[in-house]
Amino acid sequence: MTALSGIVLLSVRELWAKKIVIGLFVVSTLVLLMTAFALNLDVVEGSLAGVRVFGENLGDAQDGDGEGITLQNVVFSVQAVVAGATYWIGILLALFSTAPLFTSLLETGHIDLLLSKPLSRTQLFIGHISGVWLTMLILSTYLLGGVWLIMSIKTGVWNPSFLLSIGIVLAMFGVMYSVIVFTGVWTQSTALALIVTYGLIFISLVLAGGEQLANQLQPGWRAVFWGFYHVLPNFAEVTQTVSNLSRAEPIASWYPFASASLFGAVLYGSAGFWFTRRDF
Amino acid sequence: MPDPAIRTEALSKTYRSGIINRESVHALREVSLTVQRGEIFGLLGPNGAGKTTLLKILLGIAWPTSGRARLFGHATHAPVARQQVGYLPEKHRFPDFLTTDQMLHLYGRLSGVPSDEREARIPELLDQVDMSEWRGTKLKKFSKGMMQRVGLAQALLNDPDLVFLDEPTDGVDPVGRREIRDILLWLHNQGKTIFLNSHLLSEVEKVCTRVAILNQGALVRLGTIDELTAMERLYDLQTTRIPDGVLSALDDVLRPADAFETSQDAIFRYRLQVENRADLNAVLDRLRSAEVELEAVEPVRRSLEDYFIDVVSPQNSAPEATSA
Repeated sequence: MTALSGIVLLSVRELWAKKIVIGLFVVSTLVLLMTAFALNLDVVEGSLAGVRVFGENLGDAQDGDGEGITLQNVVFSVQAVVAGATYWIGILLALFSTAPLFTSLLETGHIDLLLSKPLSRTQLFIGHISGVWLTMLILSTYLLGGVWLIMSIKTGVWNPSFLLSIGIVLAMFGVMYSVIVFTGVWTQSTALALIVTYGLIFISLVLAGGEQLANQLQPGWRAVFWGFYHVLPNFAEVTQTVSNLSRAEPIASWYPFASASLFGAVLYGSAGFWFTRRDF
Repeated sequence: MPDPAIRTEALSKTYRSGIINRESVHALREVSLTVQRGEIFGLLGPNGAGKTTLLKILLGIAWPTSGRARLFGHATHAPVARQQVGYLPEKHRFPDFLTTDQMLHLYGRLSGVPSDEREARIPELLDQVDMSEWRGTKLKKFSKGMMQRVGLAQALLNDPDLVFLDEPTDGVDPVGRREIRDILLWLHNQGKTIFLNSHLLSEVEKVCTRVAILNQGALVRLGTIDELTAMERLYDLQTTRIPDGVLSALDDVLRPADAFETSQDAIFRYRLQVENRADLNAVLDRLRSAEVELEAVEPVRRSLEDYFIDVVSPQNSAPEATSA
C-alpha cells in the first residue's frame, strides 16, 4: 500500500510541478472570485429583482407571467456555462498538460527505476492513472464544486444534479486520457498521443450530427458511419448530458456516455495489458 | 543453505523488430551464472555485449526469451524478488522539481520503507554520500556527480541486501570515486551483495571479488580477479644473481626480466615460463643446486584492462566459461 501510494503521489506531484496545471488552478480561482464578487443578483423576497455583472445591469427581473429572467434560470445558466466551458476548454487543456506525463513515465532512467521497486507493473499502471485522475478530480471539484457552492449560498437555489457534472467531466477526461495512455504505451510519443486524442474529439463533433449526416450517405457508408458512432467515444454528444445536469433537466439518453466509458475501459485494459508485457 | 543472491539458468534474450522483414538481435545467449550472497560481482563487456539487457532482466524491466532468472530464489518479475534490492541506473532521471529530501522520501515510499525509518535513514545516507548540506536543494541544481551521490543514497534507502549499480562513478570526480568505492567496501563488509556494471576496469579491479565478461551476448569468462589476470605459468623470480652457465642452460624457460635490477642489493629479476608445476619445481631445484638464493616467486599478472581487451578481441571471444 505504501508503494502504491508512492506512485500516486509521484504522478500528483509531477502534475503540480507543471505550469499549465498551476494555470488551470489560477483560472479556476478567478472564475470563483468572479462568481462570488462580480456577479450580483438582487434577490427580493426570494425572487430575482435584477442581475448585474461588474456593476452593469444584464436584464430585468421576471414579469407577471413568469417569463423573462428568473433566479433559477440565472443560476442554471451560470452553472451550465461554467460546466460547458470546463468540459471543453478544461478537458482539452487537461489532456494537453497530462499527455507528456505518461510518455515521460516510460522514459529510460525513470521507468526502470520504478520497475526495480517492489511493486507490480499493474500497481504502477493503476497508481499512475489514479494520480492523474486524482489531480483532475481536485481541479474539477474546486472549480465546479466552488461555483455550485457560491451560487447556492448567494441565491438559495440548490441544484444537486449539477454536482453530477463533476463526475461526467472527470469520467470523460478519463476516457480521452485512455487514448493518450493507449497511444503512449505503444509509441512513446506525446505528439502522436495528442494528435490521436484531439482527432477523436474532432470526429466526435461529426458523429454528434449523426442523424442528419447519416441520412445523406449511401447504405454502405451509413453502416460505416454508425459503426464509428457506436465504437468511438461520443465526446461532443456528452456535452448535452453535462448541460442537462447543470439545468436539472432529465437526461434524454445515457448511451453516448455509456459507450464512451466502455471505449475508455477497453483502451485502459489493452494499454494495461501491453504495459505489463512489454520490455522497457 | 540459503538461495544465492542471483541465479540465471540458460538465460537468453532476443529482440525482434520490424513487421514484414523481422530482424532478430540476440542480446543474451544462454547465460548461466550464480552470484553468492556477500559478493561484489563485476559485470564487464564491450558496448552491445548484453550487460544492460542482463541487468534489466534481473530487475524485471525486460522479459527473457528463454531461461530463468532468480533473485534470492524468487522469479525476477515477482515484486517480492525486489524487496531487498537497491538500484542505481546509469541514465537515471529523477524528478528534478523535487528536493533531495523529497526525492528520497518518495523513492523510499516506493520501496515500502515506513515513514519513521525514512526519517532516520535519510540523514545518515546523505551524510555517507557527503550530501547533507544539499538536503533541501532541488535536484535540477545538481551536477552529474552530485546526482550520482544522491542516486546512490536512493539505492541504499531500503537497506537492501542486493545492490545493482550501473556505472556508479560516471561523472564523479576522483575524490568522489574514492568515496563511492569506500561505500561499496563498507557495504561488502556488512555482508551486502553488490552487482556492479562499470566501464572503469581499474575500479572493478579494486573492489570486485568476482568478475564476468560478456561478449556478443555470451558469458565468455567468469572468475576472481586473480584467476582471470594470472598469466598461464608465467612467473616473476627475484633471486641472487644466477650464474651465466645456469642461465644459458635454462635459456628456453628462464631469462632476465626487463627491469632486471631491484632496489635490493644483489637481488635480480628473472622471468620464468614453464609448462607445469613439475617443471617449475625442477627449475627451482636447479637454481638451489647452483646456490642461487630465492627472494620471491610470483605469478605474473596482467591488469584487468589488458585481460579484458585480450578477451573481447575478435579472435579470442569464444566462450570459455558459461556456467558458475
